[in-house]
Amino acid sequence: MKRIQHAGLALAIGGAISIPWAEARPVSYPGGWTVMQKNNGDFSSVHAHWSPTAKDSIGLYSERNWQTDWHFTGVQYNRLVKRWNTPNSQANLYLKAGAGQADPFGDDAKTEAAGFIGVGADWETRRWFVSYEGRAYDLGFTKDARQSARIGVAPYLGDYGDLHTWLMLEVQNRPEADTPTVVTPLVRFFYDVQLFEIGYTPETEELLLNWIVRF
Amino acid sequence: MKLISIAAMAFAFSITAPISMADQTPQDVSATAQTMVTAKVNGMVCDFCARAVTKVFGKEDAVDNVHVDLDSGEIHVTLKSGAELSDDRVAELVKKSGYDLVSVERETA
Repeated sequence: MKRIQHAGLALAIGGAISIPWAEARPVSYPGGWTVMQKNNGDFSSVHAHWSPTAKDSIGLYSERNWQTDWHFTGVQYNRLVKRWNTPNSQANLYLKAGAGQADPFGDDAKTEAAGFIGVGADWETRRWFVSYEGRAYDLGFTKDARQSARIGVAPYLGDYGDLHTWLMLEVQNRPEADTPTVVTPLVRFFYDVQLFEIGYTPETEELLLNWIVRF
Repeated sequence: MKLISIAAMAFAFSITAPISMADQTPQDVSATAQTMVTAKVNGMVCDFCARAVTKVFGKEDAVDNVHVDLDSGEIHVTLKSGAELSDDRVAELVKKSGYDLVSVERETA
């Protein structure tokens, strides 16, 4: 049933997604739109945002958390605090904040004002990738938090417009979850404006499916 | 009489047209000369980076075509005929895309 719920939400929202990587880089170029979706068994989320500058983005964020049974919908603002550009790498530090409403699952669910704050950081070359993201929620009826980190390597280097492939390992920690720390090997495919990821978490036997499009 | 006039006009056109075209040819060549701007940039490591640069430069009126080479970290911008794009403007556009300009080189073909 839980898997059906996952699939249903994924279909219903048509696929927008945020992987921790994508959440860690939630700002694009002036006038750019990005839709990101994440499903990892723990939660499903959609984040659609627009960047007025290369340092800011604002959009809508919706998350349904399957582990602790809550649903958040609100506005999210992302700020690129600092970017380090070098000849062969790029590193970023982001702050994120969201405000909206949340409700626990159930027929008598009462909606409450809710919000979250988060921080994201990444370092990337064309060969290597490392990222971190943490966020904390105040949902009115409960509090929640999670953090995740990734390391990745590109087995080959493609130029702009080629199909890029990454092999990655994600570690997620969520104190409130049944299994607080899980490790997920995944593969990322990156082509044109589309980014797709598929992975599997052995501890929870859950599938990870992420998708991003930028236009 | 009408026939003679037409023949005279045709003759006149046949000798003046090549001359006038010959006069214009150098100007046309000059007018169609295109400048290629190569900007060396720091921080461009992925396709989303390249897309940002392509979008930002592509909105400039002076820009005809943009090509990004991730291997060399270079942006190759072809300007429209007779158009100009100053080094300062190139630096602004690179910054606006989220990256840092290292150097600019120009070549006119």
